[in-house]
Amino acid sequence: MYWKPEIEILPQQQLRVLQAQRLQDTLSRAVNSPFYGKLFQKHGIGPETVKSVDDIRRLPFTTKEDLRNNFPYGFLTVPKQGAIRLHCSSGTTGNPTVIFHDNHDLSSWADLVARSLYCAGLRDTDVFQNICGYGLFTGGLGFQYGAERLGALVIPAAAGNTRRQIKLMQDFGTTAIHTIPSYLFRLHGAFQDLGLDPRRDTSLKLFVIGAEPHTDAQRRRIEELFGVKAFNSYGLSEMNGPGVAFECQYQNGLHVWEDAFLTEIIDPDTLQPVPDGEEGELVFTTLDRHAMPLLRYRTRDLTRFLPGDCPCGRTHRRLARISGRSDDMFIIKGCNVFPMQIEKVLMRFAEVGTDYVIELETFDGNDELTVKVELQKEWFTGDIEALEKLSRQIAHEVRDEILVTPAIRLVEPGSLPRSEGKAVRVIDSRKS
Amino acid sequence: MIAHQVSIFLENKPGRLEKVTSVLKETGINIRAMTLSTSSAGWGILNLLVDRPETACKKLSEAGHPAVLREIVVVRMQDRSGALHDMLSLLALAGLNVQNAYGTVLGDNKTAILVIDVEDTEHVQQIFDSAGVQALTSKEVYGL
Repeated sequence: MYWKPEIEILPQQQLRVLQAQRLQDTLSRAVNSPFYGKLFQKHGIGPETVKSVDDIRRLPFTTKEDLRNNFPYGFLTVPKQGAIRLHCSSGTTGNPTVIFHDNHDLSSWADLVARSLYCAGLRDTDVFQNICGYGLFTGGLGFQYGAERLGALVIPAAAGNTRRQIKLMQDFGTTAIHTIPSYLFRLHGAFQDLGLDPRRDTSLKLFVIGAEPHTDAQRRRIEELFGVKAFNSYGLSEMNGPGVAFECQYQNGLHVWEDAFLTEIIDPDTLQPVPDGEEGELVFTTLDRHAMPLLRYRTRDLTRFLPGDCPCGRTHRRLARISGRSDDMFIIKGCNVFPMQIEKVLMRFAEVGTDYVIELETFDGNDELTVKVELQKEWFTGDIEALEKLSRQIAHEVRDEILVTPAIRLVEPGSLPRSEGKAVRVIDSRKS
Repeated sequence: MIAHQVSIFLENKPGRLEKVTSVLKETGINIRAMTLSTSSAGWGILNLLVDRPETACKKLSEAGHPAVLREIVVVRMQDRSGALHDMLSLLALAGLNVQNAYGTVLGDNKTAILVIDVEDTEHVQQIFDSAGVQALTSKEVYGL
């Protein structure tokens, strides 16, 4: 019933005691990193500052900006030699955010993912096909190690090549898949093209979907198309990746693993905790990470705690589906994108000026990204090929930056909102 | 004197073409011939053969449109079957790739013109010259 019953059904009160102990341990490690060492000194903070979990509010927040400004080793609590893996964000403009793991961290991460998958119903008799990018993206190796820890047979199928994915499913009798929700719509189309019905022609019984915003209606549609239950996964690379919060068989919110992540929900404007059950920004403190602990890390993801106990018996509180962001980041095809990344690429092209609009739309079940830019009068020569080449070049350089190929749409000068003030730069009309 | 057409960048959207023609109407520009090439990416280039290309280009530019003058070669043909083929054969024989070309029949119903838009207009002139085909002067083009 549970992967780690001693943790998963630990009464809340005892869970708080465990958190307080682990928080103290985390602080005593964090002080060894250059960033927190300086910060603690400045604010007169030490492990003794924190007697209970509520004392966490005496610590300042950590932001993505802090990670970037202290790139690459400013948060490491151990010499570089002690770390054995890193994952970092995509992009070539500015510093990426990088997270280091030592042996303990990778093992505890794998265990959290195994616990999450078990919670959704995966067992060691399952064949688990992991359809997502491997490499720096945490969904690849994160689910690989987690599903292996659980004892499932794992197919590291990685992303793309839909025909081959279907063949793997048929050859090895795949019973469970992890992927981004939008891919499942494409996959279903491919089944239809082959004259196959996944409900009849596969052994699928479990989907794990995440890394991309989606609604409950989309999830229900996926379940209907495949005749398979789909479970919501939540994670972020700063908190390892997958394995932060996960749905159980009741699909009524995501249990956040409170033994590993001290979870707060704050008002992004006042930075004060919101009243229980109200929506706000998720803030995490790692409680079981050695090489690179993060304290009060602002995720920018908006959600709320769901009230009441879960019939599954797990005591870890449940988060509602992520409803949005408190910054302008968006996610497409599983990639996190900040408009600023696209803006910086556009600045290299004098031909198109600096005003732009990013449109996110769904065509035939696929999410597409279009960047509208204004062709500058003085660069126009009347040559259609030159403009097509320019569009291709911009698309190529944006792709290098965000890992998603955009459609570039040249528009007439003056037709986009000016860059002054709070112009709306992202129009998200994806089907929800 | 080399003749010019006006090339205008346009979004492929209702009303965009009309904005251009309204500027030309206000300025009293007469359009002799036009083509519109659209890319699959939602925009296109409008090429206009007009009586006063410099004024047209200036006014369109002032109205905010990316507009430029592009050199063209204009030749007169007979309005008969095979005439266009004869002209294009000359260019094909010379190994020249035509990026954009268009034509129109003149009022006398006996002659037509062919407008050729290529990077190297001088080369085209030479090809026609050596074949004994007379290209129109800019004055002739604008006075059509």
